[in-house]
Amino acid sequence: MTGYFVRRFLLIIPTFIGITLLVFAITRVVPGGPIERLMTQIQLGGETGALHRSQGGGTLSDEQLDELKRYYGFDKPMLSSYAIWLKKVVQFDLGLSTRYQDPVWQIIKERFPISIFYGLTTLILTYVVCIPLGLAKGMYHGSALDSWSSAVVFLGYALPSYVIGIALISLFAGYWDIFPLGGFISDNYDDLSTFGKAADIFHHSVLPLIAYLAGSFAVTTLMMKNSLMDNLSSDYMRTATAKGLSRGESVRGHALRNSLIPVATSFGNNISLLLGGSFLIETIFNIDGIGLLGYEAIIERDYPIVMGILVISSLLYLIGNILSDICVALVDPRIRFGGRGAA
Amino acid sequence: MSLFNNPVARKRWQRFRESRRGYFSAWILLALTLCSFGAEMLANNRALVVIHNGEWHFPTYGDVLSGKDFGLDYSYEVNYRELKSQSAGSDGSWVLMPPIPFSPLETDLIAGDFPPHAPSLDSRHYLGTDTSGRDVAARLIYGFRTAITFSLLLLFFNYAVGVAIGCMMGFWGGAFDLVFQRIIEIWSNIPFLYVIMIVASVITPGFWTLLFIMAFFGWTSMTWYMRTATYKEVARDYVMAARALGASGPRIVFRHILPNSVSTLVTFVPFSVASGITSLTALDYLGFGLPPPVSSWGELLKQGTENLESLWLVGSVVVAMTVILMLVAYIGEAIRDAYDPRKFSFYE
Repeated sequence: MTGYFVRRFLLIIPTFIGITLLVFAITRVVPGGPIERLMTQIQLGGETGALHRSQGGGTLSDEQLDELKRYYGFDKPMLSSYAIWLKKVVQFDLGLSTRYQDPVWQIIKERFPISIFYGLTTLILTYVVCIPLGLAKGMYHGSALDSWSSAVVFLGYALPSYVIGIALISLFAGYWDIFPLGGFISDNYDDLSTFGKAADIFHHSVLPLIAYLAGSFAVTTLMMKNSLMDNLSSDYMRTATAKGLSRGESVRGHALRNSLIPVATSFGNNISLLLGGSFLIETIFNIDGIGLLGYEAIIERDYPIVMGILVISSLLYLIGNILSDICVALVDPRIRFGGRGAA
Repeated sequence: MSLFNNPVARKRWQRFRESRRGYFSAWILLALTLCSFGAEMLANNRALVVIHNGEWHFPTYGDVLSGKDFGLDYSYEVNYRELKSQSAGSDGSWVLMPPIPFSPLETDLIAGDFPPHAPSLDSRHYLGTDTSGRDVAARLIYGFRTAITFSLLLLFFNYAVGVAIGCMMGFWGGAFDLVFQRIIEIWSNIPFLYVIMIVASVITPGFWTLLFIMAFFGWTSMTWYMRTATYKEVARDYVMAARALGASGPRIVFRHILPNSVSTLVTFVPFSVASGITSLTALDYLGFGLPPPVSSWGELLKQGTENLESLWLVGSVVVAMTVILMLVAYIGEAIRDAYDPRKFSFYE
């Protein structure tokens, strides 16, 4: 099995190259790159702003243009400039942002605390609430608790989280003015006491957290309930009942562990929370996290940042998939990866 | 016909009908979709029926009628709402307007007030107007038509490509399978909304371009499923029997494997429809979707979040999305139950 996971880790490399090459190619062929943006900026007298389509030509001389192209690495054919870019990435150099002229890694790193805050809170709340709720719903299938919580869970399941976010912000921030309109902290954050700071962050994060949670709550709860119900009708539960265990004891001792396996299949992907943050929710609530950074980078054609976020997020995702499989192998001894019959 | 008329399919249909919630949701959604295709008769600034001097006119789908045709002093298109109020007293003329007498692209400015106008029965803007004075209810209906058409077409393309490639992968196996496995792995790891945003931010896509871009990145999920299903079917005895009888490859695929594996795809359809609608709305919301002035839910949501005091903008879209997506989810649940009836039991 070790051999299998080593192979999986090695397979990350071609997949990673494929993903980055494709997106790199897209950023190269589409018009409106940093040079054209600069040219229009000069044309408009230094007025900043993302123009959706920039015209060619301009007031730059040919030498200046060549110099710019060299600076941004646009003077070479695509594959060789991709090779140069890849070589830099391997040396942990993601380049400079074309917008801020700061190292990309530093810009991304500054956003980590926000991502981790929302990621960890969502993660903990999801597991703390969903696993017991799913268990209760599975054990008392058809009860009042089950049907009432189903209605709520189903709403979160059917609606995408950004719609929930928009609904929340317009009701509770726009209409009733209970919560702030967005942001992560207030302007006077530095003047507050420690308790005040915590309260301030909490006050700002209630609405985005609900939006984040709505989606993951529904999926995890339903998964937990369905897997418990599958296990409740299995033979070993009949045996447990036959030898005289009560319902609660047999669930706690036997069914619970087996029902946790499906939840474990996505456990490894939680390392993505480092870079988590949906750009939809972050744009709605104006949270200055990774999602908003990526969204703005796309609008402003700041390709080093776009590629930098892609590098980190795809690596985390690919590694997370493997970690999930390791988790599954750890909790379920029946699963043998890399044996006969595995694809 | 054997795809729908075999005992298994009939039993599944029976079970689908038995879960009342899903069955009724399916009918409601079908009715709403059909209504939206006749949206011109629900929300339009052209009248449904005009009787003028004993002559009947049906302007909804016909030619543009100028004011002169009805004895008015202008030669541009008739304003049917004015025509209706003028002809109210006189005999021989009669105008029947659609329930929402506004077109989705028409700006209706109320004197002494800046748009967005609040909902009111007097102005007949039942859900108010947006920031350029266009009727929200009309835009909701036309936006639903855009979303559901887009989503169904996207589903068709995704499934067509996915089924074709997945089936080939499963049937041929070998190098073809291996190469496409890698391609799909790369494809499905690409953050696809992100890439669409990159592309859409530069080319300002139209309906078909956007559809093509989304299909280009969205076909992979079905492929994976079809590959497994084909692998399973190929190993079965009846395929070997067909081979022994001398059936050609295409015949085995189209007569034997596809009918046996494709029917299960129905269970994925509701989720694909829902995700099509939500991703189109998300792209429109972010401004990377369909170009203005196409009516779309995402564009209304964007206006709503920029004008939070006009609660009717966000409210009507959120309610509409909730209704549609809940219907789709109920249908999905019913289909899943029909295919995989969970007989719940436990021991005590």
